[in-house]
Amino acid sequence: MPRQWWTALWASLGYGLVLLGSLVAAVAYYPQFAQNIGKLKALAPLPVLRNLVSDLESGGLWAYIAGQQFFKGCNTLGTAAAVLFACGAIAGEANRGTLEIWLARPFSRTRLLLERYAAGALALIVPVFLTTWSIPAQMRIFDVPGELSMGLLTRAAVHQSALLLAIYSATFAFSCGGRHPLRIAFGVLFATTLMFALYLVENLTQYSLFRLADVARFMRMADHGLDAGLVGAMFGAAAIFLLIGWRVFTRRIPL
Amino acid sequence: MGAGQTQRIKEPLGSSHSEPAVSVRGLARSFGERLALCPLDLDIGYGAITGLIGPNGSGKTTFLRLLVGLLTPSAGTASVAGVRLVGEGVAIRRRVTYAPGEIGHYGELSLEDHLRFLLAGRAPAALARALTLAERLGLPAGARVRSFSHGMKRQMLFAAALAPDVRVRILDEPTEGLDPSKRGEILAILREDLEAAGGARAIVLSSHHLGEVDRACERLLFLERGRLLADERAADLARRARRLLRLRYGSDAPTERLATALERLGAERVRWEGSQAAVVLACDDPRPFLAGLVNLAELPAPLEIAYGRLSLAELYRDLYGVEGL
Repeated sequence: MPRQWWTALWASLGYGLVLLGSLVAAVAYYPQFAQNIGKLKALAPLPVLRNLVSDLESGGLWAYIAGQQFFKGCNTLGTAAAVLFACGAIAGEANRGTLEIWLARPFSRTRLLLERYAAGALALIVPVFLTTWSIPAQMRIFDVPGELSMGLLTRAAVHQSALLLAIYSATFAFSCGGRHPLRIAFGVLFATTLMFALYLVENLTQYSLFRLADVARFMRMADHGLDAGLVGAMFGAAAIFLLIGWRVFTRRIPL
Repeated sequence: MGAGQTQRIKEPLGSSHSEPAVSVRGLARSFGERLALCPLDLDIGYGAITGLIGPNGSGKTTFLRLLVGLLTPSAGTASVAGVRLVGEGVAIRRRVTYAPGEIGHYGELSLEDHLRFLLAGRAPAALARALTLAERLGLPAGARVRSFSHGMKRQMLFAAALAPDVRVRILDEPTEGLDPSKRGEILAILREDLEAAGGARAIVLSSHHLGEVDRACERLLFLERGRLLADERAADLARRARRLLRLRYGSDAPTERLATALERLGAERVRWEGSQAAVVLACDDPRPFLAGLVNLAELPAPLEIAYGRLSLAELYRDLYGVEGL
């Protein structure tokens, strides 16, 4: 197996285990959460957070699971993973002086770039799906009352993956032109943290990127299905960022 | 030579192929305002090792990177192993191997895995040959590359570049950082590789270890500040070198009188560096000059005579008057 796939596999395993650990704890905690939600609501310090707890209260099990797995788990851990997996994709090779030996082999630049992109993208997305699909089994193990369909869980994972892929692709595009992966990572993580901060500000919350994958969005999904337009737009953004990255890469290194 | 002026050098060596291994026309590269390689016309034939010699920043690496498609030319065209450079990078890289001058490596890989990575996309036999070469060079196949010295990493890249059966090998500073015995081994392997290909292969290497490269190469290209200064057969250069000698005198030597006397004895040119005279003889045989030197009773005798053991840098400086090599 090529080196980058091994790297991606290990990275994916690590990130997947953290995501799974966080999800297992959340699922196991659900019965207590359901009992104490009133008190939690009273403790919420910000109006946005109170609204969030209200959503969780009214949305029941699905709102709680979506909040834990997607809004909390994937939007934080997933975003961090997206940035970390992408920032060194090309810039990391330039930074440690391996760009030449990587490129001097008899493969097209496009193939090398797409392989590198795909390895990171799969490492990012596969754990989202696998952990999400494990939710029903976890609910059985921890005797969590209620039922969630695999269809709904899969649609939610697709939606979340589209957002993560867009973030990954944007970081990848920066990596295609840069040679300092840490600077790229800090830059994008600063931007995404700012987006999270915006989410918590009542008057500015609508400008946050994470409005695209918050609890309210996933609750609507339970009633109205996948928002194909939004998901398509997020995948489209990912594709555009990938194209930008390819353009930057081929300007940097001839075909 | 100005930036807009093309340097045209004819291929001096015979080639077993009708087309040159490397052919460049007006090839140039600039980085911002700085012209790293002035427009260059050059043909390099098969069946020979061509050495690119010059100081740091002379454009050697830029030229080699252009040939393997790691840089885009600012102007001009090039073909390598019969494949046009621009737009056919994969086809070129199938016919060419490249050992970069800057050592990049994946330290976590073992030597064998690293060679496998470097030879991905090549014929399966290439890995076996690379491992054989690595063993000959004394590299441990199972050890992680991060434990290797600078020289061992350089030899790993060399082994990978020598393993595939390709038409052109491009090696940037293959002996840099190696001890003299390993340098000799590397150059011997290169000669064997060339002979094994029976005239169907060209090797282009760069170096600033001048004293050894001239032994391995049939042809020497001298670069300086992006310009091609000279293109010579190594044998011709060696012959010209036989006309050079250095004489060291005491610090109070009468240099003007000595210069006149030396020219009378058969020196074509005399250049003084302090109390040391760099002499270019008018003929290949130094004996009449040396005999006359002994008989110069009215002038001080030299404290030291250096003949046949001048470095190529010294030879080059004396032949071309260029410092820094």
